[in-house]
Amino acid sequence: MMDAETAGLLAQSLRRAFEDGDAASADAALDEIGWCEALAAEGIAVVPLLFAEQGAANAASGALDDLLTAVLGLPPGARTAFVLPEFGGRSVPGSVRHGDLAVRGLGTARMAAADHAVVVTEEHRAVVVETGRLRIQPVKGVDPRLGLARVEGAGIPAPGAGRATDAGWTDALAAGRLALAYEMTGASRTMLRLAREHALTRVQFGRPIGSFQAVRHRLAECLVALDGGEAALAAAVEMAEGAWPARVAPVPAGIAKALAGRNARTVARHCQQVLAGVGFTDEHDFHHYFRRVLALDGLLGDARTLTRELGEELLRTRRLPAVPSL
Amino acid sequence: MDLQEFRDGLDGWLDEHQPDLVPPHGSDVSLDAEMEHLSKVKRLTFDAGWMRRGWPERVGGLGGSTLMRAYLGEALASRDLIEPGIYSMTEVLAPTMIEFARPELAAEMVPRLLRGDETWCQGFSEPSTGSNLGSLSCRARRDGDAWAVSGQKVWTSLAQYADRCVLLTRTGSPESGSRGITALFVDMDSPGITVRPIRAMHGRDEFCEVFFDDVRVPGDRILGEVDGGWAVAMDLLPYERSTSLWHRGAFLRQRLERLLASPSGDALDPAALGEVVQLAFAFHARSRATQYRMAGGERLGAETSIDKVLLATTEQAVYDLVADAAAADVALADDPDGARWRTEFLYSRAATIYGGSAEVQRNIIARRLLDLGVDR
Repeated sequence: MMDAETAGLLAQSLRRAFEDGDAASADAALDEIGWCEALAAEGIAVVPLLFAEQGAANAASGALDDLLTAVLGLPPGARTAFVLPEFGGRSVPGSVRHGDLAVRGLGTARMAAADHAVVVTEEHRAVVVETGRLRIQPVKGVDPRLGLARVEGAGIPAPGAGRATDAGWTDALAAGRLALAYEMTGASRTMLRLAREHALTRVQFGRPIGSFQAVRHRLAECLVALDGGEAALAAAVEMAEGAWPARVAPVPAGIAKALAGRNARTVARHCQQVLAGVGFTDEHDFHHYFRRVLALDGLLGDARTLTRELGEELLRTRRLPAVPSL
Repeated sequence: MDLQEFRDGLDGWLDEHQPDLVPPHGSDVSLDAEMEHLSKVKRLTFDAGWMRRGWPERVGGLGGSTLMRAYLGEALASRDLIEPGIYSMTEVLAPTMIEFARPELAAEMVPRLLRGDETWCQGFSEPSTGSNLGSLSCRARRDGDAWAVSGQKVWTSLAQYADRCVLLTRTGSPESGSRGITALFVDMDSPGITVRPIRAMHGRDEFCEVFFDDVRVPGDRILGEVDGGWAVAMDLLPYERSTSLWHRGAFLRQRLERLLASPSGDALDPAALGEVVQLAFAFHARSRATQYRMAGGERLGAETSIDKVLLATTEQAVYDLVADAAAADVALADDPDGARWRTEFLYSRAATIYGGSAEVQRNIIARRLLDLGVDR
């Protein structure tokens, strides 16, 4: 495990890496910091730091591609992107018929510039394809700064159809969900910080609006949601087993991501109301974070889907999921 | 003894002694019978040494990590052997005695509470003093080297069974607020004390009014300093939101598991169930971290208000789920199991009211954790 000093230094470098918010320069800075090496050396322990900072800074990078690629046992790097499932869903993006690969999914900001893309297929095999064989269409959507892309392809020759990953896809989903949950939590923390600063400085009826109970309770509600969600996330990280690539337990990871997605909506609703008119303008930073959590919630399974799936699974087993013991 | 040894030993002991520890069940079980059962569980676990772990030796404990206290209540609640509300009063009152009573007084009294030989209550709230604790008016005036107490308390849980009371009194001027409060440790059989139980909506005499008419309390029964009672109260309240909440969380988990395994489980809506289980997971994770902070010697404070809000929200969500899936039981059942769901559902409505209301917790969070300045 990392000591506190190393973690502090890493957090500082990450904040610098995410300063200008541009995905290409963030990737270059992550490369310089040695993100992929840190991932290999420290495993899941570095995921909270990086993704929370990325979310807090409203930055985009290919860090998620690296994480998912590494969990599948493939070499990560700035030239390798990862094809995510379609928005809201969790099904694998690839399918192989008669040796031909078809692809339908999403890419992060790295996709357009990458040389290769990792595609997981229905048989849970990972195929590495040249991005030139894929149709990559930038998505503006609700969050243009995130730089998502639609990725499609058909008739791509896939001899032998890649290497088997078996449980790897489940592991990748779980690790990716933790990462996205931390990123949404980081973004939510920034929304709360913006709303808090506004509540302290905005004066109405001769006093800061932060002295009104209606405002205070909304912000308190945000902190409760975030601290509860972050405790669940930390527990999910703690429940990861073994050396890197550590097996992240899928159920706690799904719970943590669903909580982070739902909490982000709660935080956004309260903070937007506290920020009121100014928070509704394009000039204020709030909307960038709101847009970000709306987009991130839909990656690797959204809160609604994960919650329903959890309930259905519990009704099948009639047992509550394991929790970390004291 | 480390936590793992404690856990293994206790689990084995509970397997063996479970038949002696099973509480009386049924809709006709009185609170008297429940209290008697609680005393028995405390006595048996104390005599076997489990209840003494995690408490200092100077008050009859055997030392070691407070995590063992957390696990004992968890194990008892998970096996449905205790009702955590009445069990966990110890977790609130014993630490206060250890911190603020004369060492001899703590050494004499705390073992009686741990062993279940005595029941104690907490005299804080008054008819005009609910959330605004600093405005209390139950008066203690000097009478030689003793105190004479006159006034009234209300919502005092278990006062009708209590042998002692940790009582907050007004010793400063009526306007002295939080600066003029003194904490006393009062024998409930003192002349001049009258207790009137109040029947709560779920059918239990959950709490009481307690009247003090010129009650004499010896001077050496003071807890902390004269006019220093606010510190006692502020020290106690975070305990009310730490280990006892962990115990309650274990109880809720056990009840949710029961619901899931029962025929009513068929009627559960998957999305609603998923959401409640997620909430319960978050509470568990949060409270677990709190238990470790406490065991590490950290002083608990305002951050435990987060734990309280999470627990209250989870508890009501669990029983909202019960009310949907086991609607007929909650509405109509007179059999013991069905009636128990109703009783628990009704009791869950108080989760955002007692032990510092949801609003007071949010005030604390806004002021102390978000640093939003004073509330005007």
